[in-house]
Amino acid sequence: MVHPEEIQRYIEQGLACEHVRVAGDGHHFEAVVVSAEFRGKSRVQQHQLVYRALGDRMREEIHALAMQTFTPEDWAAANR
Amino acid sequence: MDAQQTIKQQVTSNPVVLYMKGTPHFPQCGFSAMAVQILRACGVEEFFSVNVLDEPEIRNGVKEYANWPTIPQLYVNGEFVGGSDIMREMYESGELQKVLAKQAA
Repeated sequence: MVHPEEIQRYIEQGLACEHVRVAGDGHHFEAVVVSAEFRGKSRVQQHQLVYRALGDRMREEIHALAMQTFTPEDWAAANR
Repeated sequence: MDAQQTIKQQVTSNPVVLYMKGTPHFPQCGFSAMAVQILRACGVEEFFSVNVLDEPEIRNGVKEYANWPTIPQLYVNGEFVGGSDIMREMYESGELQKVLAKQAA
């Protein structure tokens, strides 16, 4: 079983992030990722960056990961 | 035809294509079910769907085609739009309706 903390660590190691939060019950996960790397990229490209950070480590479980990506600016606006 | 050629042909010869688990009437995964619901909420009743559970070569091939590791995958006019998270975000912001309206016009 995969723990949300492991997924969070993988993302942090593979991508320069301002903020990462992963929640889940071991079967389904939800990730919120904030990174300056997302600036100027489409949503598809943003999610691809996170998938790349995860690499092959979640090949089996990745289908159960729901994801939201934000640039630091969008994140600040969303939390205002 | 190999899987990449088949996919290319499917996404370019149909305006809206959804690769999913199960069928629109009987989705076999929550994310695929949500993708179908979102398309219907956008007024799209007719679309080309591929049940990847019946087609293992397409199931693997489509992940490579868009460099995207998950199913469902939505294509409009040959362009990869996103998976279910992106579809939901775009639906909520009204962007998806615009993308889909273009193909219907």
